[in-house]
Amino acid sequence: MSRQFSTNELEQIIRQYRPIIGFTIKKALGPQYPEWEDIVQDVLTQVISKLQKGEFREECSLGTFIYTITKRRIIDCIRQKAKASSEKIEEIASLGGPEEDFLKKERAEIISQTLFKLKPKFREILYLYYYKELSREEVAARLGLSVRQVSERLYYAQKILARSLRKFFPEKNSNFALLRRLKK
Amino acid sequence: MSKCRFEELIDGYLLNKLDTEEAERFEEHFFNCSRCFNQLQQREEVIKAIKEHGPALIREVKPAQSRLQRWADEVVMIFANRQWLVAPTIAAFLIVIFLIFSPFSKEEPPSFVLNGENVLRGQAINLISPIIDVNQPPLYFEWKKQGEDLEYKISLYDSRNELLWSSTTKETVIILPEDIRKKMKPGEKYSWQVKAISSNGILVAVSSRVQFMIKDEN
Ligand SMILES: [Zn+2]
Repeated sequence: MSRQFSTNELEQIIRQYRPIIGFTIKKALGPQYPEWEDIVQDVLTQVISKLQKGEFREECSLGTFIYTITKRRIIDCIRQKAKASSEKIEEIASLGGPEEDFLKKERAEIISQTLFKLKPKFREILYLYYYKELSREEVAARLGLSVRQVSERLYYAQKILARSLRKFFPEKNSNFALLRRLKK
Repeated sequence: MSKCRFEELIDGYLLNKLDTEEAERFEEHFFNCSRCFNQLQQREEVIKAIKEHGPALIREVKPAQSRLQRWADEVVMIFANRQWLVAPTIAAFLIVIFLIFSPFSKEEPPSFVLNGENVLRGQAINLISPIIDVNQPPLYFEWKKQGEDLEYKISLYDSRNELLWSSTTKETVIILPEDIRKKMKPGEKYSWQVKAISSNGILVAVSSRVQFMIKDEN
């Protein structure tokens, strides 16, 4: 059974999955990879084309279907990259518009302010765990705490950060309502 | 909201501590779980900030206050010393608000020069796709959101600058109808442009006219 998608649904899928595909590709290839934005376009075009041709037969979820296409494209890229490794890769500015860059900077500013407002006992753990990249066990040993205490403090710090971001940017999650609507 | 069991993997994924299989399982998961993807994006921002501050994070010194905060503190100080200022200031503030939102203040439409590719004033819309040569007629067009409550008018032109297709939408992406795609040929150049129109019919932003070619398959 292949599922048919309306034009409207396809448009929602593009908007919904562009950030997820972009995130995954950037993570796999590194943000310095010059053509990552083009690869995102490529994957989206493949996805839409396959959906229009009825190639999605609901043997898996739509998310998994799109992930499989993304992953295959990433593997191709890595293969090509290995071949062309002698060529130097120049850093290019992201295609994100000025508005997007501005929002990112604002968010980074709020995160920094919140970080420095945290009590030293939380900052210390964040530093060891994320900056020094120690494991929870190592952090616990270093500070004479239980692993559970470390986990709790990490969780608490994340909660505070999330709360202050939500306070300043309440609209961030709104477009995910679309996916929920689509899923049913 | 209950916690998703995959949330445990976010840190490991971002710090590259998961093995390949685990990482792939988590990736497949966040393609299906918007909650985890949201958290993942946010955690990435937090880790980036922590990496940037480094050891400064555990020193007591606080970074310089943001400009806005300093300004707010100063305003508070002024009023703390001169309380008689409060009433007239609030009155002045209300008048300003009234003037901004009063029905008498007319919204001036920004001016654009739309002959050819020149856009002189006003906002510009950033086009996302297609902006480079493509292997097949595009399946969709996409551009950056320009603001709330706007209608976008997209126009597609052929190499002779004749309008091939035009449509309007409130979304920032639109699927190209099949019958128009069939008319588009390899080796030909096309261009497209988007205009944003506010709910009261004023043109508020335009994109530049972007050209792309459909590559010859052979
Ligand atoms: Zn999840």
